[in-house]
Amino acid sequence: MNILFKIIISLFATVLFTSSLYASQNLKFENVLSENFKLITKSSSKTIDPVIKKLLNTNAPIVGDFLKKWKNKKLYFIKKTNSIVSLKEINTNGYELVQFSNKKNLGFFKKAEIKKIKPNSGVRSKISNALIGFQLLSTDVNIRVKGLETLSRKFNPEHLTPLKNALAKETNLKIKKRMSQLLIFGTIQYSQNENEIISSLKSLEGNLSIEARGVISSLLKNKIFVSSQKPNSPNLARIIIPGVTLKNSDGSSLKPSFYSNKKPEITKQEALKLLINGNYIKNYISPSKRDEILKKNIKNKYVENIPVETLKTDVARIKAYNVLVSLGKSPPLMTDQDIDTIINKHFFYAIYDEKSSKVINTAKEVFNSINHKVNFYKYLDLILDGLSLTSIYFLAAIGLAITFGVMRVINMAHGEFIMIGAYTGYVIQLFIPNHTISLLIAFPLAFIITFLAGVGMERLVIRHLYKNPLDTLLATFGISIALQQIAKNIFGTQARPLTSPDWLDGALVINDVLSISLIRIAIFVLGLTFLILLVLVMNKTRLGLETKAVTQNPMMASSMGINPDKINMLTFGFGSGIAGVAGVAIGLFSKVTSELGSEYIVQSFMTVVVGGVGNIWGMLAGATMIGMLQKFIEWFNPSNTLAAQTYMIIFIILFIQFRPKGIIALKGRASED
Amino acid sequence: MKSIFLNYLNSMSSFFWITAIIMIITISIVVFSEAYGLNFVSTSFVKILGKTLCLCIVALAMDLVWGYCGILSLGHFAFFGLGGYMIGMWLMFERTKSIVIESTQNNILPLTHNEINEAIGTQIFGVVGGAEIPMIWIFADTLSIHLLLVLFVPGILAFIFGWLAFRSRVNGVYLSILTQAMTLGLSLYLFQNDSGLRGNNGLSGLQNIPNFDNITQAELSIWFLIASSLTLVVTYFICNLVVKSKLGNVIKGIRDNETRIRFLGYKVESYKLFVFVITAIISGIAGALYYPQAGIINPAELAPIASIYLAVWVAIGGRGSLYGAVIGAAFVSLSSSYFTGGQIPNINFGIFTLKWVDWWVVILGLSFVITTLYAPKGIGGLVEIMFRKKQL
Amino acid sequence: MSVLLEVNGINVTFDGFKAINNLSLSISNNELRAIIGPNGAGKTTFMDIVTGKTKPDSGTILWGQKNSSLLRMNEAQIVELGISRKFQKPTLIETQTVFENLLLSLKKSRNPIATLFYKMSPDDEKEITNIAVEVNLIENIGSLAGQLSHGQKQWLEIGMLLAQKPNLLLIDEPAAGMTSPERKKTVKLLKKLSKNQSIVVVEHDMEFVKSLECRVTVLHEGTVIAEGSLDHVSQNEKVIDVYLGR
Repeated sequence: MNILFKIIISLFATVLFTSSLYASQNLKFENVLSENFKLITKSSSKTIDPVIKKLLNTNAPIVGDFLKKWKNKKLYFIKKTNSIVSLKEINTNGYELVQFSNKKNLGFFKKAEIKKIKPNSGVRSKISNALIGFQLLSTDVNIRVKGLETLSRKFNPEHLTPLKNALAKETNLKIKKRMSQLLIFGTIQYSQNENEIISSLKSLEGNLSIEARGVISSLLKNKIFVSSQKPNSPNLARIIIPGVTLKNSDGSSLKPSFYSNKKPEITKQEALKLLINGNYIKNYISPSKRDEILKKNIKNKYVENIPVETLKTDVARIKAYNVLVSLGKSPPLMTDQDIDTIINKHFFYAIYDEKSSKVINTAKEVFNSINHKVNFYKYLDLILDGLSLTSIYFLAAIGLAITFGVMRVINMAHGEFIMIGAYTGYVIQLFIPNHTISLLIAFPLAFIITFLAGVGMERLVIRHLYKNPLDTLLATFGISIALQQIAKNIFGTQARPLTSPDWLDGALVINDVLSISLIRIAIFVLGLTFLILLVLVMNKTRLGLETKAVTQNPMMASSMGINPDKINMLTFGFGSGIAGVAGVAIGLFSKVTSELGSEYIVQSFMTVVVGGVGNIWGMLAGATMIGMLQKFIEWFNPSNTLAAQTYMIIFIILFIQFRPKGIIALKGRASED
Repeated sequence: MKSIFLNYLNSMSSFFWITAIIMIITISIVVFSEAYGLNFVSTSFVKILGKTLCLCIVALAMDLVWGYCGILSLGHFAFFGLGGYMIGMWLMFERTKSIVIESTQNNILPLTHNEINEAIGTQIFGVVGGAEIPMIWIFADTLSIHLLLVLFVPGILAFIFGWLAFRSRVNGVYLSILTQAMTLGLSLYLFQNDSGLRGNNGLSGLQNIPNFDNITQAELSIWFLIASSLTLVVTYFICNLVVKSKLGNVIKGIRDNETRIRFLGYKVESYKLFVFVITAIISGIAGALYYPQAGIINPAELAPIASIYLAVWVAIGGRGSLYGAVIGAAFVSLSSSYFTGGQIPNINFGIFTLKWVDWWVVILGLSFVITTLYAPKGIGGLVEIMFRKKQL
Repeated sequence: MSVLLEVNGINVTFDGFKAINNLSLSISNNELRAIIGPNGAGKTTFMDIVTGKTKPDSGTILWGQKNSSLLRMNEAQIVELGISRKFQKPTLIETQTVFENLLLSLKKSRNPIATLFYKMSPDDEKEITNIAVEVNLIENIGSLAGQLSHGQKQWLEIGMLLAQKPNLLLIDEPAAGMTSPERKKTVKLLKKLSKNQSIVVVEHDMEFVKSLECRVTVLHEGTVIAEGSLDHVSQNEKVIDVYLGR
C-alpha cells in the first residue's frame, strides 16, 4: 500500500547491496522510461500518476534525481531514438547529453535533434508530491525545510510514512518540531488508526495555531440531509429546524437567543428546496412556474373565462390556476400551509463526515476548549484595541481639554493643528530620509509650530472673544476651514505618506490570535508620557498651579497677582502644541490629508464633554469610555463601523443626562457661571 | 410706549421690504424665464435662485434658534436634510414605480403588487446590494403621509434630542458640541448601506416629479421658485410674529439672562424645546423644497460642516435680525456658487496665480473670523446703521 | 400668625465645604424678616435652596398651609407658588426695555403657547404703569434696562417682584448702590409691602436693617446663631464674637 515506504526502505537497502543490484534496478528504471515514453514526454496530470508509481516501484537510486530534473524541466529526449536523457553541458559543439541510468556519455547533438521535456504545472505538482519523501531525507537542511513547506501546503495520505521515518532520523531540533507537528496534523487527517487519531487530537489541546484549528474543524465537517424518518446515526451532528436553529462552529445546533442577530441556518425556502431535491415533494409548482403555465393558457387575453388584466394579484392568479387544475390541465398547487406541514413532517439534520464517534467527540472537546481560549484572546485583543483607540483619543483631545478647561474656549481649529503636526512630519521626511531621525525632529518641531500658531490665534482672535464662548466657536471654525483649504491648496487632496521607522513596523506577536502592532504600543506609550508630563506640569510647576487657579476662579486668580492674560496665552499655545505632537503620532498610522484633523474633532469634543472640564483624570476617563465603547459596539456589529459611531453618540447623549458636567465635575460656586 | 409701537412698525416694515424684494425678484424671473417668459434666464439659474430661497428659509430658522434664543445648534442643516430625505423617498419611489410599470406594459400577465415592489426594490436598492424595500419605505407611495413626515421626522428628532439636552440643562458650547455629535451620528448612520436609504449613494432623480412627466424642467423650476418664495414669505411672517410676541421677549430673555427668566417662573426648558422643534420643522420644510430642485441628496449634505456653514451665513448676515439671516444666506451661498463656479478669471500675480476655486474658502473663512471680531451684527448691522443715518 | 415657610435641618456641602449646617428657620405670614451675617455665612445659599437653585443634602422645606415640600419642585414651580427672588447682583433682561421687563414679570400664564398669543390688555398696561410709578421708573419706561443706574436696576428688580404678586419675597441686598433718599424709599416700600406679603431681606448695611424695624436672624457658618429684634441680637455674645472677631 505504501509505495514510498517501500522505496525508502529500498533506498536504505541500496547502501548495503552490491552495485549489481543497482544495475538491475537501473535497468528496470530505463525500461519503465522507454515503456512510458509517450506519457512522460507529453504528460498530462490525468495520466501521469501510474507512471510515477511505476518509476518509484523500480526502487532505483536515481529516481529522486530523475524526478527533480523532470520537475525542473532539465530533461530532454532524442527525437530519433525516443530516449530520455539529461544534459551535461551546452557548448560550441552543441548539446552534450548523457544517458540517465548509467551516466554514459552520448556525445553531442544539434538543437533540432533533441527536445526539452516540459511537464505542465499539474504534472509538476504531482512530481513534487512524489519528491517530498526524497526531500525529507536529504542531507541538505534547506531541502528538508523546503520539503516540509511543500508538505504543509499539501499533505497526502502517502506522505504519512515517509514523514514518520524522516522524523525518526531528524537531528535538527527545529525541523524535528515542525515534522512532529505536521505528523500530528497528517495523522488526524489520514490515519486509519482511531487511537492514533485521538491521541494526536489530544496533543493539540490548547493549540491556537490556525493550522491546528483548521485540521480539527476539518474533522467536524458535516453535511445536511433530509428524510422522513428520525435520524439515528451515531454521528448525528445536529437536528435542524428550518427557520429556527442556528449552527455552531463545532457542528452542533443552537436555539437563537433573543438578542442575537444571527440568521437561522436554513430558511423555510431552503428547506423546501431540499425537499424538492430529495424528491420528497414531487410536482411542486412554484409561483413562477404557476405563472408560466398561466401564460401558456392565455387565449385571446383570457385564461379560460378570466380576463388577463384581472390577474393583478396572487390571489387572482391562484384562482385562475385552480380553474386550470379543475379542468385537469395542470397539476395542483401547494398552499403555504401544505408546505409547512410537509416541512414539519420531515427531519432535517446534519451528519459528520467522520465515521468514528469517538474521534468526533474528542475533536469536539478539543475544538471547544481551543475556542474558549481563542475567545479569551479575542476579548483581550478587543480590550487592547480599545486601549489603543483610547490613547489616540486621549492624544487628540488632551490639548482641547486644556484650552477648554482653562479658558472655556472650544477651539474648532484644534483638528487643523493636528493636521499641521502631521504635515510637519511629512515635510521633514522629504528633507531627512532617515525615518528615525526625522521623527525625532518632527515631534519638537511640530510642537513649536503649532504652539506658535496657537499663541498667534489667541492673540489675534480669541483674546477678543472671551466674553462670548459661542463666538469663539464660530471664529475658530472660520480659521479651521481656512487652514484646511490652505493645506489642500499646498499639498493637494491626495494622501501624503508619513512613514514610521522600520523598528515600529512590526507587531508584538503573543500567539496566533493576539498580536499588537508596535505603532499602537508606541502611541500608547506616547499617550502615557503625555499624561505623566501633564500631571507633573499641573501639580509641580508654578505654571500648573497658576493655570489651576485661573481654571477654578479667574477673578480670584487675577486679584492674587496672576496674570490671566499670560496664562491664557501660554495654555492655548501649550494645548495647540500638544495637538501638533498628536498630529505627528496620528499621521504615522493614518493617511495625512487636509481632513485628518476633522476626522478626530468630534470624538475629541465628546471626550472632553464626557470627561468633564478642568480635570485630567476626567479627560482620561472620557477617552477610555469613548475608545472602549466604540470598539465594543463595533465588536457587537463588526460589519458596520459607521452605525457603531451612531450608537456611541446616542449613548453619549444619554450619558450626559445623568452627568451633565461629565464624569468628574467641579462642584460648588466656582462651577456655576 | 411710543418706542414699542415704533419697533413694531419697524419690524413690520422689514417684513414688507423683504416680501416686496422677493416678489419682485420672483416675478421678474418668471417674466424673463425660459418656460413662461422672454427666455433670458436659464433654467439652471432659476434653480440656483430657488435653492437659495430655501437656504434663506433654513437660515431664518437658524436665526430664530440661535440669534434669538441663543442656542447655537449645529444640527439644523441635518433637519433640513431629513426633510429632503422624506420627500425624496416619495419622489424616488413613485418615479421608479412609474418607470417599472411603463417598462412592463407589454408583459403578458399584468404585474402583481409584490412583483412591482420587487422590481422597484431592485431598481432602487441594487446599488447597495439589496433588492427588498426596507420597512421605512412602507408609506413611500403616499404623498400625503410623506408630506407629514417632512414635518414630523425632523420635529420628533428635535423633540427627543432637545428634551434630553435641555432637561439636563446642557448649555452653551456643551450644547453646540452635543448637537454637532447628533448631526455626525445621523450622517454616519445614513452613510451605511443598510440604513435603508441607499447609503452614500443617497436618493437621486428627485428633479423628476412623478405623474408630471410632460412638464419640462424649465417649467418645474419656475413652479418651485414660486413655491420657495411663497414659503419664505410665510416663514418670515411667522418668525416675525414669534419674535415680536411676548414669546419673543421670553426667548430673547433666555438668550441674555437665562437665570432671570427662570426665576420669573418661566420653564426655560419648554421654551427652548418649543423654539428648537419649531425651527427644526421649518428646516425640514425648507429641505423638502430644496432637494427636488437640487435633484439629489446624500448623507454628505447632512455632515456637521453643513450646519456650521449655516451658522456662518446667519453670522455674516447678522444674527438677531430676521432680514440679516435672509441676506446672509442669500449673499454667502450665491457668492460661493459664483466664486467656486469657475466663471471668474484667476488673478495672476506673476509668481503666484490666485485661483478663486482654490482660495475662495480661505477668504470665506477669514472674512468670517473678521465678521465675528469686528461686525458681530453682520451685514444686517450695516443695514441698520444705514437706515439710522437716513432717519437722522 | 400662621407659618408660611418652614425650613428644617437643612445641610448643604460643596466639595467637602459645609455651606449650610443644620439650618432651621421659619417665616410667618406677612412678616418682614432681615437676615444678617458675615460673608460666607450662607445667606445667599439659603435663598438658593428656597428657590430651588441648589438642592440640599438633607432637611425639609415646607410651604404654606398645605405644608407642601419645595424640595421636589423646580424653579418655575416654586415661583408659581408665590416665591419671588431678587438677586444680589441686579438680574434683569438688560437688552429689553423697562416696560418689557415688567411685562415679562406680570402674573400671567407662563406657557409658551399662551405667551405666543398673548395680547396686552389696557388693564395690563395700567398695572405696568402703576408699578413703574411705584418704583420711580415711569420716566425711564422706554429705555433699555441695561442703561439704568445701579440703584434704578435694583428698583426695577423690585418692581419685577411686585408684578409677580408673590406671597414671599426674597430680597438679596436691596440697598447696595442706592443713595440715601433711595434707601429711605426702599424701606418705606418694603414696610408697606409687608402688610400683605412676607418678605425676607438679606442685608449687610446695619443702618438699613435697623430702619426696617423687624425681626432679625443672624447666620454664621451656615447656621442660625441668634434671632430677635436687632437690639436683642446685638447683645448676644456669639453675635458680637462673630462680628468683632474672636
